[in-house]
Amino acid sequence: MAVTREQIQHIAALAELAVDDAAAAELERQLTRILDYVRQLEELDTGDTRVADERVAPLRRDEVVADRLDRPARDFGAAMRQGLFVVPRLGELGGGDQEP
Amino acid sequence: MSDRRALAALTARRIRELEDGGAHAFVEWSEAALLAQADAPASPAGGALAGETVAVKDNICDLTFRTTCCSRILEGWRSPFEATAVRRLRDAGALVAGKTNCDEFGMGSSTEFSCHGPTVNPCDSARVPGGSSGGSAAAVASGAVSMALGSETGGSVRQPAAFCGVVGIKPTYGRVSRYGLVAFGSSLDQIGTFGRDVEGAARLLAVISGRDPFDATSLDRDPLPPPGPAPVSLAGTVIGIPREYFGEGLHAGVAAGMRRAMDRLRALGAELRDVSLLHTKYAVPTYYIVAPAEASSNLARYDGVRYGRRVGEGAADVRALYRATRGSGFGPEVRRRILLGTYVLSAGFYDAYYGKAQGARERIGGDFTAVFAGGVHAVFTPTTPTPAFKLGENLSDPVAMYLSDIYVCTANLAGVPALSLPIGRDQGLPLGGQLIGPMEGEAEIIRIGQALEAVVGGAEEVR
Repeated sequence: MAVTREQIQHIAALAELAVDDAAAAELERQLTRILDYVRQLEELDTGDTRVADERVAPLRRDEVVADRLDRPARDFGAAMRQGLFVVPRLGELGGGDQEP
Repeated sequence: MSDRRALAALTARRIRELEDGGAHAFVEWSEAALLAQADAPASPAGGALAGETVAVKDNICDLTFRTTCCSRILEGWRSPFEATAVRRLRDAGALVAGKTNCDEFGMGSSTEFSCHGPTVNPCDSARVPGGSSGGSAAAVASGAVSMALGSETGGSVRQPAAFCGVVGIKPTYGRVSRYGLVAFGSSLDQIGTFGRDVEGAARLLAVISGRDPFDATSLDRDPLPPPGPAPVSLAGTVIGIPREYFGEGLHAGVAAGMRRAMDRLRALGAELRDVSLLHTKYAVPTYYIVAPAEASSNLARYDGVRYGRRVGEGAADVRALYRATRGSGFGPEVRRRILLGTYVLSAGFYDAYYGKAQGARERIGGDFTAVFAGGVHAVFTPTTPTPAFKLGENLSDPVAMYLSDIYVCTANLAGVPALSLPIGRDQGLPLGGQLIGPMEGEAEIIRIGQALEAVVGGAEEVR
């Protein structure tokens, strides 16, 4: 199943990645090749599967400890003003030129 | 001059020679930083890693050296904290030599996808060192450092260890804290170790292992003990030889090396048993769904606002800033995987791809559980289907590149520990053999690895 240009543009918008036409053409070819390859999983029966060993997803004891970043933000913040992080000024928030 | 200062100066000379020779194993290092560590009054003299220099892969955070993950998107960023693993090796008396080259965010099998340019294999400058931890493998193989930290999501320590002729260990998932390891595929990522021999890689692993309250997925275990002496006999040890790892596509030199190594294991008294890991052929397709899916989420944080590079300052809206920054900051393989991951997680495709891959992952883990439950102590396989390939050889075909990890990504999917050690050479190119153990079975594969290493002749031609 070929990945279409429209799908590339759609997932690029979802992923917030600028993709120009030349890159999109190459990505169509490459993603189609990869998805054709992974499609062999369709032949595998994956019904009634369960985690073989719970240690593949361990969880630690829920203890609160001091974090290594528990210090004034100005010590590691790239740009600070009046105790706040300085981030780029934007014309407006939200919107965008292409909604997914 | 103190011993530590002399070691720092010697290491600096070796790194300079390596880099002047065009290896490009390091992306940041300095003699001044090495000497400053040697002179630091807090340096413990008798730590477990006293007298060792350790290089650190550039996706592991450090306070002395920058962390770029070999990506333009982290240009100018400096970590405000150090990884638990790095802190532990410094506390054990090691000198941190610098940061090593890797594929961007650990995504690659050749260290060609680095914004700093590729590393070359110390054994053959026309060939790749493997990846993604190729700089760490090359740094150890060249003798510039005695040990190195790498990271694995799908074989990124063991595959370059095999290509460069050094030892690489991927521990059990959760054995080593991921705190300070920049996330790629969080359910797969683990810091691993490189050494010139099994003892060195295992000693480094022992130092960085053990519970860490900063990592929710850290196993609640004490640190591993340091390795003991190499056993002279493997009597009573059962080693499984999985038939699925010896099929079509296995290079004749690798096959010859494996036959030779298996003969040596028998001579040591081990019982070699034919076993089946039936779902091995599904490992690469499973990995290339699960890992990109997790990567697409983990890398969403690089948006031009919070980290490093920013493109489109003054953009009309915030999404334009995101897209411009991410579109120009990520390299081709990372972009490909983010898009692939976004695709397999998107509405209408999730069950067909991600849901299916999760089921396949359980099947792969179940294969290992069944084999080890049958009395097998470790599984022995080739680490890679071929010796190191040439620079540029697989760049145009992502699937061909992915297949170089066909024998290593199973252990990541199953969460089990695995080790690669040199088993010989074919026309001068190193060959790797892989020992895979059960969950928390590091001590067993290290013991078997030490015994095999002592007799296998890792620098000898195999045919």
